[in-house]
Amino acid sequence: MPMGATAATPAELAGAKSGRAGRRVAVSGAGAVSGFGWGVEPLWQGLCAGATAIRPFSRFDHRSHRTHVAAEVPPPPQGSVPVAGRSAGGRRSASDRSGRQLSLADRFALAAAGEAAAAAGLDAALPGLPEGAGGVFFGSSTGGMWEGEGFVAELFGGRRGALHAIASQQVNGPGDAVARRYGFTGPVETVSSACASGALAIGAALAALRAGEVEVALAGGADSLCQLTYGGFNSLRAVDEEPCRPFRAGRAGMSIGEGAAVLVLEPLERVLARGARPLAELAGAGSACDAFHMTAPEPEGAGAAAAIAAALEDAGIEPADVDFVNAHATGTQLNDDAEWRALERIFGERARRLPVTATKAGVGHLLGCSGAIEALVTVLSLARGELHPVPAAADAIDGSCPAALVTGRPLALPAARAALSTSLAFGGSNAALIFRRWTGPSP
Amino acid sequence: MPDVASVADRVKRLIVDNLHLEGLRPEMIDEEAPLFGEGLGLDSVDALELVVAVEKEFGIKIKSNEIGRDAFASVASLSRFIAGRL
Repeated sequence: MPMGATAATPAELAGAKSGRAGRRVAVSGAGAVSGFGWGVEPLWQGLCAGATAIRPFSRFDHRSHRTHVAAEVPPPPQGSVPVAGRSAGGRRSASDRSGRQLSLADRFALAAAGEAAAAAGLDAALPGLPEGAGGVFFGSSTGGMWEGEGFVAELFGGRRGALHAIASQQVNGPGDAVARRYGFTGPVETVSSACASGALAIGAALAALRAGEVEVALAGGADSLCQLTYGGFNSLRAVDEEPCRPFRAGRAGMSIGEGAAVLVLEPLERVLARGARPLAELAGAGSACDAFHMTAPEPEGAGAAAAIAAALEDAGIEPADVDFVNAHATGTQLNDDAEWRALERIFGERARRLPVTATKAGVGHLLGCSGAIEALVTVLSLARGELHPVPAAADAIDGSCPAALVTGRPLALPAARAALSTSLAFGGSNAALIFRRWTGPSP
Repeated sequence: MPDVASVADRVKRLIVDNLHLEGLRPEMIDEEAPLFGEGLGLDSVDALELVVAVEKEFGIKIKSNEIGRDAFASVASLSRFIAGRL
């Protein structure tokens, strides 16, 4: 398919090494929905305040579970995208003609994509986009599972509810909804490799952009709280009764969150040509599998380290060029220990001094979207020159994973060159992304 | 053949009972208004619900190629279609 794609000129390439292959890729916009609210600003402000959105929640009755907190997305602000909850008995309003078939995760995805597209100035850029040159690359674990659970519960109760509730129960629902909204007819793909999904989706977008398969990619993920994931992780005793405390000595598991995150990714020259300023450069992606256990990470962090090494090589940079890490940091004993070992393998003695933050302490674990929202926070950290802290906790950093965790207040890093975001999933699926701070001219 | 008016009353009741349209009562449905898009604003998922409900209620079989044709344009046309099959 002819894309009218052109390689960057030598002048455009000056100032930074290009990655392994093809065109440089910029992040031109970002949008998010999280437990802190609808939008990037509530997310960033909540994180930088050292707050947490993990708290008692009301989506469903969780009295029979061990734990009673999650980072639930609050109702949307007045006048924005409506979030039609599933009302009792599966009834729906006759006056609500639009989007009855959308799941909650779809609505999160559409809100995040809308914010990202507006930030990137895509409204002006899309009309000239060749047919098939827009792609969507999404990660999700739940899709519309929440709505599907309600339908099945009614069915077991002897009543067949409205089919609209399950029209978008598939895991590809959120990404497909975004493709329809923007009329993107290029590759539209959903990755579902547990908690690495969002990062793998962004990696897939990077490959498609470099190869010239697409000119604009909406990449990210969406997940919503539901009973299977909440009950399932509880059954595994992987959920902390308190908000999760990554890398702390007293950590006792993860916290579940929900939301969406979308990055607009485009060839760097395309962003510069329309006079927009990149938020950051997506420099590299890597993945590797432990092939070890269904849920436990390989304890020496070999797979995670292999994914990080692959991402660094893909970006054409050395470990010494990385100035901070947005860690997967779930707050489980096993994850944080294995992740620390992986960081030590890559960064050696410097690992103890390398600033690390843990976004999950603020917004919980977004599962199939966690890699996407953490990539977004990494991009914001580079663009705004500061790393958010984790909420205060009484217990010390664990000696078995002594990361230089940012605590108390944001850490100013205005000259950070590159940043690493890690995603380490069930099934041993590991993904790593490298973003580079944009140091080029402002338009 | 039953009279079309009584079939129409049953069709309206069936729409209210099966399509989960909150606040809708049978007497509020305009028999000549379009079922899809405009009018009642039903969509393709509703069409599936409606076909299954009509088959069950009236004991008739509806072929796929009959859905979305003139027969499903309005309550009035659907009622005439059903009455012709009984």
